[in-house]
Amino acid sequence: MLRVLVLLATACLVASDSQFCCSAEDRHIVEEQWDTLWHDTESSKLKISFGRLLLLKLAKEIPDVNELFKEVDIANPEGGKFSAHAMRILNALDMAINLLEDPPALDAALDHLADQHQKRPGVKKEHFKKIGEILHTALPHVLDDYNAMSWKSCFKGILSKIASKLNA
Amino acid sequence: MKFLIVVLVALASVAWADEKCDILTRLKFKSQWNRAYSHGHSREDFAEAIWRAIFAQAPSARDKFKRVHGEDTSHPAFKAHSLRVLAGFDIAINLLDQTDALKAELDHLEEQHKGRNIPDNYFDAFETALLHVAPAQLGRCWDKEAWKECTELIIHGIEGH
Repeated sequence: MLRVLVLLATACLVASDSQFCCSAEDRHIVEEQWDTLWHDTESSKLKISFGRLLLLKLAKEIPDVNELFKEVDIANPEGGKFSAHAMRILNALDMAINLLEDPPALDAALDHLADQHQKRPGVKKEHFKKIGEILHTALPHVLDDYNAMSWKSCFKGILSKIASKLNA
Repeated sequence: MKFLIVVLVALASVAWADEKCDILTRLKFKSQWNRAYSHGHSREDFAEAIWRAIFAQAPSARDKFKRVHGEDTSHPAFKAHSLRVLAGFDIAINLLDQTDALKAELDHLEEQHKGRNIPDNYFDAFETALLHVAPAQLGRCWDKEAWKECTELIIHGIEGH
């Protein structure tokens, strides 16, 4: 088993940049595990709370971020503006995950998200790195089945693509 | 006393009938939508069916989507775009039972559509497309009136009138 893991890890390192080691099976696992969260009609409340916690945690770890979310009223996180924004962010993640099995369309979707973030001065690559860390800590708390290897390899690709047009 | 109760009940039912996309209808729409919206490949197919139905009704609407390859609904750029639009619609639907957040989202969507000169009949084409693709996806268990009333509430919010 260990040998297989080592082999897999080596294979990921060898793979080119564009092939960010998120195999067909990884994609499938991520999509299936994510899907278990959204069977309830009230799942929007979960989406909002999860998105809210994600962004607030990011703002706590990197306080500069507060300024970036001023327009969506981060000062009042329970309010309508920030709730809707939390939902938007979570839905963008949802869209990316649901496109994992269609790489060309996923690429187009992430490219658009990269453009949207490029337009926001002050957004940095390190913010996305941090979001990745926060996600990997948070997801196992809400998912009964969480395959860390698959999620990490797929999210590394997703987040770095979204951050790819940022200068800093 | 009895008379009062009768009057109250009558008033309540008038108020109830008056609001077409009421809270129960919203919950029903939301749960049926979540089923139709689905995930993965089947979500992509759902989106493509809606867009093909839109363009079949309003072929000139394709011009609005030149930047995202509207001439070919199976182009990756268009697939991504069609899912973005449905994702925006999904947000609004999921917020139907949270008034403040719904208001904020509809304002945001209105802002995004402003200046694009989208005629009302394109929005009508979206509604018609949705109301035809949804039952194909859901089969027997769907409530056309609920979908119609709540979809219109969202569309009016986006149009701003």
